[in-house]
Amino acid sequence: MSDNMVLMTQGLSKSYGKVRALRGVDLEVYRGEIFGFLGPNGAGKTTTIRCLLDLIRPDGGDVRVLGIDPQADPVAVQGRTGYLPGELALNDNLTAERQLRFFADMRGGKADWTFVRQLAERLDLDLKRPIKNLSKGNKQKVGVIQALMHQPELLMLDEPNSGLDPLMQQEVLGLLREAKSDGATVFFSSHIMSEVEAVAERVAIIRRGKIAEVAETASLVDRGLRRATVRFKEPVDSGLLARLPGVQVLSRDDGLSVVLQVEGEMDEFIKVLGSLPVSYLDTARPSLEEVFLAYYEAGHDHKEEI
Amino acid sequence: MLTTLRYALAQFRGQILGWGLGVAALGLILVPFYDVFMEQQADFMQMLESYPPEFLAFFGGDAASMATPSGYLGMYGFSMLPVIVGIFAVIAGSGLLASDEESGRLDLIVAHPVSRAALFWGRLAGFMVSAVAILILGWLGFSVLLGGSSLDVSWGEMALPFLPVLAQALCYGALALLFSMFLPARRLAATAAGLVMVASYFLSSMATLNENLATVARFLPYHYFQGSDAMNGLNFAWFLGLVAASTVLALLAWWRFQRRDIRVGGEGGWRLPSLTRGLRRRAEAQ
Repeated sequence: MSDNMVLMTQGLSKSYGKVRALRGVDLEVYRGEIFGFLGPNGAGKTTTIRCLLDLIRPDGGDVRVLGIDPQADPVAVQGRTGYLPGELALNDNLTAERQLRFFADMRGGKADWTFVRQLAERLDLDLKRPIKNLSKGNKQKVGVIQALMHQPELLMLDEPNSGLDPLMQQEVLGLLREAKSDGATVFFSSHIMSEVEAVAERVAIIRRGKIAEVAETASLVDRGLRRATVRFKEPVDSGLLARLPGVQVLSRDDGLSVVLQVEGEMDEFIKVLGSLPVSYLDTARPSLEEVFLAYYEAGHDHKEEI
Repeated sequence: MLTTLRYALAQFRGQILGWGLGVAALGLILVPFYDVFMEQQADFMQMLESYPPEFLAFFGGDAASMATPSGYLGMYGFSMLPVIVGIFAVIAGSGLLASDEESGRLDLIVAHPVSRAALFWGRLAGFMVSAVAILILGWLGFSVLLGGSSLDVSWGEMALPFLPVLAQALCYGALALLFSMFLPARRLAATAAGLVMVASYFLSSMATLNENLATVARFLPYHYFQGSDAMNGLNFAWFLGLVAASTVLALLAWWRFQRRDIRVGGEGGWRLPSLTRGLRRRAEAQ
């Protein structure tokens, strides 16, 4: 494992009874990058993150976090990491401030309280209020602050924007960018494509406990996947297009309009279009969401195991 | 570990006061009542002798021994204390880690740079200190009115029966903790440990009347409860034996906690066999 690699898994597997949650996850995350971990509910995102922090024990595979085996020395990993769980649970009997002081004490008092107050102000969180009186979104803000307050080298955030309103989502994404600019590495899971596209430099897509794709966000979006809207002068057999390799009909209207997804080189597609009476053609780069959905459509099995 | 201990004690504050003052209140009633008991001794003895021996067995003696300070305190106080303090121990022991785990809080706590060992032993130490604090409050309640009572017992002698109570509390607490490490729900662990405690109390009490039960009772903690007899000399072998058994139970629980997954959302749990589930699966298969 190179010094530049902050997080590495090889063949990571984990089962819950008969359910195979992870089936050999291979990941590499490098120092200073924001890495998005994409997948639908139950694909294995949370299980992967919890293995990385030694909260659960994998059945097989190798894991290194900051060059350390988390099973051999979990405290060393946890001391340099900030973690936000996907299902955040706090002590309802404490105020937000008391809860954060508890977490700071668990880190040996390693938290800059001025920074905590700045974070609370930016996230519009009243630290004096009891946890039990906070909304889900405000509890999430407490979770975000506890992950950031000791300014860790590595942030592992499981759905950091869960329950937050759009304004606060933008603020949290801003905090992640700032953490990166301060030298931290950010590894976060999400199923909200827009937020991943907004901040992540690289993404991994996990499907049914296996990594389906790891790529730079921009290249994944740019990669030959286009959405083409075609209108014809007269009804045509759109099957001519649909039969081309990499072409999929997404919708069809009255025989005159058709929306297609074209993957890969467009040369053949354009040649066939040229032989047809086209009145209008529009091609658009898909969003990351469409790229992501493409992994789960086109014959992929939607059924996840956890 | 000290941070964990500090927070564990903060969590136990209410229970220390509640259980401690409850045990103290028992002493504050029992000690002055001894004089009334002695004044009415003849009537009380007649009443006690009318009880069936099975009933008296639960209070650790026969009617004749009840007139002594040790017998009186044993019957009305110390015979029940292992169960009273045992309820605290079972609730506290089963929830020491499992209540935070069931609520989902343990996930984030364990993700902090505190080793599982420090978390486990810190919380267990918090439980032990709480049990000691409850019994100290209880001892004060039993002792503070001794000066005005005809009970010929010193404060030091009064402290001795609390040591076997402590050993019982540690034993049931450690057992509940161990069960919570293996069973899928805290409530189930508390129920199982509570059953052992109640069975231990009944079987050991009845074993004084039925020798056949003595064989089973030998394996149960209450069999080794000395009660108010400790005023006449503490049975160190029993006391240390129970402490050693508690240590073994705690070590087993720690061994399990070191190796197991921290659960959230029912991960790693197991379900009891369900007849309806089996029938439903069969129907679905058809």
